[in-house]
Amino acid sequence: MTIRLSPVLQTRIYAQLQQVYPNEGGGFLLGSVEGGGMVVVETRPVENVFAAEQQHHRYAMTSHDWARLEDEADARGLALLGYYHSHPDSPPIPSAYDREHALPNFVYVIVGVQNGQAVETRAWQLGQDRSTFDELTLLIE
Amino acid sequence: MTSIKIPTPLRPYTANQSEVTVTGTTVGEALADLVAQFPDLRPHLFNGAELRDFVNVFLGEEDIRFLYGVDTPLDPNARLRIVPAIAGGKNEDSSGPERNVDHSALRINQVFIIGLLVLAFVLDAPALAAFVAAVMLIGAARPGAELFKLVYWGILRPAGIVRPDVIPDNPEPHRFAQGLGGIFAGLGALALFAGASAIGWALTWLVVALASLNLFFGWCAGCNVYYLLNRLGAPGFNRQRVKARQ
Repeated sequence: MTIRLSPVLQTRIYAQLQQVYPNEGGGFLLGSVEGGGMVVVETRPVENVFAAEQQHHRYAMTSHDWARLEDEADARGLALLGYYHSHPDSPPIPSAYDREHALPNFVYVIVGVQNGQAVETRAWQLGQDRSTFDELTLLIE
Repeated sequence: MTSIKIPTPLRPYTANQSEVTVTGTTVGEALADLVAQFPDLRPHLFNGAELRDFVNVFLGEEDIRFLYGVDTPLDPNARLRIVPAIAGGKNEDSSGPERNVDHSALRINQVFIIGLLVLAFVLDAPALAAFVAAVMLIGAARPGAELFKLVYWGILRPAGIVRPDVIPDNPEPHRFAQGLGGIFAGLGALALFAGASAIGWALTWLVVALASLNLFFGWCAGCNVYYLLNRLGAPGFNRQRVKARQ
């Protein structure tokens, strides 16, 4: 499975996640499914609502944010493909916490931000049996 | 009939329908009918008989947890919606909680100390030197009450004027260094008030010099004293140098 993200959108994600560093930040990925792959059409930053003193290692968004973005995606014929969030000073690999809170058929894009600079993006999807995260092929093009 | 809006990632299990019609007079019955119609949904909504933690069910705008949970009664044309809670976060270092220090906060602190002590000398104002010494000592005693760092945390960083520089490090040696500097600055201020100007300003300039070494060359004299005491096994000095992570 591949997911395509344009350099412009990646730059936008990086700017946001560098801005909120050393806290975690994130948002939704809207797009479409074409053949065997997914294409991200829009990225939508969403406020981190975790308690302020926990935001350096936790990210959460409200149900209201989900409902609002999903309604918008449905109305426009787009899909809520997944969401992205940052791991400040930590590799972009899903944590146990990420897996406990994950859904199948949903893309988890994680960005490693080192010393305030976004350095690496990787994309993951929960396996159908919920036991593992599988890495997707992320195409920046 | 009750309708249930299905979240996008679970639609593959409902034949890609975004909305499904179910029967039932309570939320629990409606969900039971939903997973009876689409059995593949069950493991993603339920853990045994319980709804999974990250599965939120809304009746209209209300989370059923704030109503009567799965016993919440349904009107004939009720609209339910399943909304996953989205949360994530990085792994905590398996060797223990990560220890990071924002060196931008330290530098801002040093800028204030150097600037105000030099100003005290120029204006011949022992009271200002005493004020700086008090801020340093209070900050060393209570890490949350460091006035100059509060300027950084409260104004400079949120406004984006100074960017954070968080690196793996121990906060304790820096706190110790600040306490040591505070003692020198405090003794200097006392000497100034006692009329021993030469000693007073010499001690003040010593603090300025050490803070400048730290600010401009990243060499923290107090931290070195701390780590020396650590190597000598002094009680309370139990942090070793943090190796740069790579």
